[in-house]
Amino acid sequence: MRERIVYLLGIAALVILTWNINAIARLPEETQQGVTFKIIFFHVPMWAAAITAACTALLASVAFLVTKNFKYDALAVAVTEVGLAFTTVGLVTGSIWGREIWGIWWTWDARLTSALVCWLLYGGYLMLRKAIEEPTQRATFSAVFSIFAFLDVPIVVFSIKWWRTQHPQPVFWSGGSFPPDWTHHFLWNMVAMVLLGVVMTSVRLRQEEAQREIDSLRRTAHAL
Amino acid sequence: MFLTNPILAQLVTEEARLQHQYEFLSYGLTAAWVILAVYVLMMVSRERKLKREIASLRAMLEERK
Repeated sequence: MRERIVYLLGIAALVILTWNINAIARLPEETQQGVTFKIIFFHVPMWAAAITAACTALLASVAFLVTKNFKYDALAVAVTEVGLAFTTVGLVTGSIWGREIWGIWWTWDARLTSALVCWLLYGGYLMLRKAIEEPTQRATFSAVFSIFAFLDVPIVVFSIKWWRTQHPQPVFWSGGSFPPDWTHHFLWNMVAMVLLGVVMTSVRLRQEEAQREIDSLRRTAHAL
Repeated sequence: MFLTNPILAQLVTEEARLQHQYEFLSYGLTAAWVILAVYVLMMVSRERKLKREIASLRAMLEERK
């Protein structure tokens, strides 16, 4: 049943993306940035999915520390890995957009730097997990580290409000707006990316369960 | 010769600008999907490895019993 739901969500995400990419391609040029602006239709939803993943990882880590239930640890690692993939896409697409619009691939402003720190922190979380053998110790240290890593997420989100950055101000928070049909496609892309994230997390979660089964089979084999 | 005509020159510049912008748009979109595709392939290969490992461990346990 769970697999069927995951497949259906995956198909829904792909259908939305195919329809939306086709529709976005036919949208007119943006007045100042031209067609390069269309990268934003993917860059921002990827970041939205990454931030959703970071929030889920935080909740799962807190839940593990409270309950000591390894299901939450599995969810935290699954969602962090998927979130890291989305963060990578967000950084790369942003850099390509910056090269065309600003003329530079990278600048050390507050938004970009905090986003890179976020990527390094969650990358470090996954490396930390590989470094600790004992499951309970690994899950506890990782949960604490994940909560610490999350401290950077509000800095990434609000850096453009708190400091003057080269990164543009958000369209929607700053009283700006898209034309209605642009908003429509932008929001559908957000839905598709979050759905894609849910599907990837479910698959990754199943792998964590398989890994736990392997650990238990190994223990049985040692006992025999 | 064509570029001495201001309208033609403007059209050529406009086309070059559009081409340049589409180039960057395609880089961005390609990078996005390639990164996600690589990650999905990594997950698929990990899934296969895990299934093989479970099967071999079960077979080993069966033998020992």
